[in-house]
Amino acid sequence: MSWNRREVLGVLGGASASALAWAFTGCRSSPTVRAPVVPIAEGSDEVRAWLHDAVASLRGAGFARAHALAVRRTRATAAVDVLGSSVARARADGVVLVVETERGVRERASSELTRGGVAAAVRALAPKATAPATIEFGPAPPAIASHGELDSIGDRELIDRVASIEHRELPGRVVYAAGVIDIDDATVWSVEEHRDLVQRRVRVRRAMTRVAWDRERPSAIEVSRAWSGGIDDQTFDDEQIAYARDTALEVMTPTAFSDGIHPIVLAPSVAAAVIDAAVGALLTSRAQMRPEVVARLTADKATASPALTLVDDPAAPGTYGGFDFDDEGAPAQALTLVDRGVTIAALADRAGVAAKRAQIAGRGRRPGHTGPVEPMPSHLRLAPGAGDIALADGFQLDSGRVASVDPASGRAVIEIARARELAAGRPTGRVYSDLELVGDLATLLGNIAEASKQTRTFGIRDERDGLPTWRSIEAPYLRGSGMIRARRGELA
Amino acid sequence: MIDRGRIAQALAKHPFADWIVFERDQELAVRDGARGRTELRSRFRIVAHVDTPKGRGTARLAVDTVDADADQLADRAVALAIASVGDSWETPPAAAPARVELADPAFDDDLDAIADRVLHAVAARNAVIGVTLLRERVASISRSGFHAEWRATLARASALVIADARSLLIEREARQLDALDISAAIADATSDLHALARAPAATAGPCSAILTADALVPDDLGVWAAFAAQADARLASEGLSRFRENLPIVAGADQMPDPLTITSDGALAFGVRSAPLGDDGDAVRRFAIVDRGLAGTLGLSPREASLRKLDPNGGVRNLVVRPGTWNGQADPSGRLVEIRRLRSLAIDPYSGDASLEIALGIEHGKGPFTGGTLRLDLIEALARARRSSARMRRGAYDGPSSVLIEKAELLV
Repeated sequence: MSWNRREVLGVLGGASASALAWAFTGCRSSPTVRAPVVPIAEGSDEVRAWLHDAVASLRGAGFARAHALAVRRTRATAAVDVLGSSVARARADGVVLVVETERGVRERASSELTRGGVAAAVRALAPKATAPATIEFGPAPPAIASHGELDSIGDRELIDRVASIEHRELPGRVVYAAGVIDIDDATVWSVEEHRDLVQRRVRVRRAMTRVAWDRERPSAIEVSRAWSGGIDDQTFDDEQIAYARDTALEVMTPTAFSDGIHPIVLAPSVAAAVIDAAVGALLTSRAQMRPEVVARLTADKATASPALTLVDDPAAPGTYGGFDFDDEGAPAQALTLVDRGVTIAALADRAGVAAKRAQIAGRGRRPGHTGPVEPMPSHLRLAPGAGDIALADGFQLDSGRVASVDPASGRAVIEIARARELAAGRPTGRVYSDLELVGDLATLLGNIAEASKQTRTFGIRDERDGLPTWRSIEAPYLRGSGMIRARRGELA
Repeated sequence: MIDRGRIAQALAKHPFADWIVFERDQELAVRDGARGRTELRSRFRIVAHVDTPKGRGTARLAVDTVDADADQLADRAVALAIASVGDSWETPPAAAPARVELADPAFDDDLDAIADRVLHAVAARNAVIGVTLLRERVASISRSGFHAEWRATLARASALVIADARSLLIEREARQLDALDISAAIADATSDLHALARAPAATAGPCSAILTADALVPDDLGVWAAFAAQADARLASEGLSRFRENLPIVAGADQMPDPLTITSDGALAFGVRSAPLGDDGDAVRRFAIVDRGLAGTLGLSPREASLRKLDPNGGVRNLVVRPGTWNGQADPSGRLVEIRRLRSLAIDPYSGDASLEIALGIEHGKGPFTGGTLRLDLIEALARARRSSARMRRGAYDGPSSVLIEKAELLV
């Protein structure tokens, strides 16, 4: 969830903030910008009318089910670092028409969201369509809010939002500081019989990075916030700014880490990385096409700790990964995946339910809202405990990075930026860097003894074939035990 | 509505130092289980530079629809370029695009029907197969009036292969349908799943390791991606690359009996990373990243090339690794493990440090095992590895089908 140290340093130098913006947004080179076409809110009723016509035509052509989905997306990313600032903007439109036939599901996608583009997509699916069917679409959706569209916010305004926070409190030893605000504004229309839906989501991520030198290696820390709603709904408080600064300035212990099984506290970022990887590898209807996953979930059904309850809740207000309806038109509904250590459900799309790999659909999501559908989480919430947790002796694992769970074997590998040693409940001052938490996922989750009351939320924006996906994870601190080992040798 | 001509006209009204417009008209067909999908999309890409007293600014715009206003795009490009001023540099003189064949005639039919044929040609009953076919026409026009146009095809296949209550996910990508060879990949995976069914856990200890095809290139460039990162010009200019031009990539690499040579070949016929022009309109050229153990040329965009007073080469593309003379024989006295499949491959692009999590290995004299980790400095390990004389081509890789790393440590 945070950058590799060298990746952060890789954006130093001439590349400056423009490269930072694109490192943050997952692009390889300097800004690629999609220019505005038309304001999102403009013509919403017109788009609905095109989709109504499409569904009516497809049903008239004899298809048992027809679904039309359209999206207009805009994006702005502003980055400020010690060397300068940059803004990048993007815009993409699309439409997908889906029909169900006796032989399966067929769909037609197009980047041309116009009357002609939608009509052409209908002809591609039903070349001989003649008379449209009479369809009851149900009540019209409420008008979408048109205020606050990204294109109406100037580049300077975006940069100012970042600079006001990200340049505060920079001691001399901090060699690099940067901040990014990344905003996706998507309006989605979904039309089928009895469902005429529209939603607008403004998803915002803010991140702040500090880098200081620790002997011959850079020490980097990123703190972030992610939500949906107003662009200024959240910001970094003084405590977070101080945390970023102090963590970057922390001196790492130069001696080698002693690999082994230790009592541990997983910081929320580490817990979130574990949960995110585990859900993706095991708890979707697509993952359950693998026989090992089915066998493991059967055998390990109740081997996670009773301290763990995991819910995917797209309807939770203000969440980065949330939605009002999924990309197959199913309304948002919370789904408990793990109930006090017992796995009880999996995330599914319509195909997963049809194949009897899950009971409830509602997580059919398309990258960019128009890519191929697949089951994906929305806002995962690992239930908090009743109070604070404390570890007497062991390590607190901070700054979870990349986590992987092998669906075939259940082996988990989670990169950890820092491990703080604790003795008698107090920090010893030893802080080890570049470690990994490894082992069997079921064992790791079975060893969790308690969860903290306080939680943190993380937003993740991935891209698949150039199209974005959004999800978020809310996680507490977790106390347990696990195998920790060094990822590298001693510090030089 | 826009097309590249209208965009070019709009750009010509502004005082850009240089610009190029790419237009891609793409058609896709996707088969995933019982789901079939077709897609049409138009993508425009504009790269435009402005020169100011403070330096050169560059704007890169992508527009994924024809429903746009060319003048608005040009205005936006001006604003972005002015907001992104950096070093001063001049666009190198235009060079002829690479001549490279990218379109498979087997795609000259209804794409949907071809996807069906690809699926039906696979006889395996123990695999869930997905296929994506792409056919595109790419055209470019530049400020100097230079035009280029080419066609390209791309096929991607994935298969979840199931046997003995276990599964392997395999993926292949090629510009030619015949090169996908998904049936052979499924047969190999099935064989490995049978071995996996009787595989005990790995045991730790020193060993020699053979990386075979699926462990060597499990994705895209596989373990060789470590070298692509080292040839990144921006990384090098920031002092973050290990390579120094014309110096050994690791101590003694040039003294090996069969020194390593790796070439970036963006003109490789039907290479998945081949193209006549680079992302910024520069001509793609073949160049050695590693030449007999010595660090060679960096991948150079027009900017990086201009700053170094060299010619651009289109950046790092397909990697062609010169095969060695190793015939598959190894010292029988030591422990020898053959790595067949990986659970994951994680490479630090800056250091070359890598973790190879093993899904299936074969210990010579004992049999299959599963689990364990090889932690390697890939630059060091592959510089000293013995490379097979047999070669293979997979994705963006063309080179030896296996390598022997004589000193490794298996961790559990």
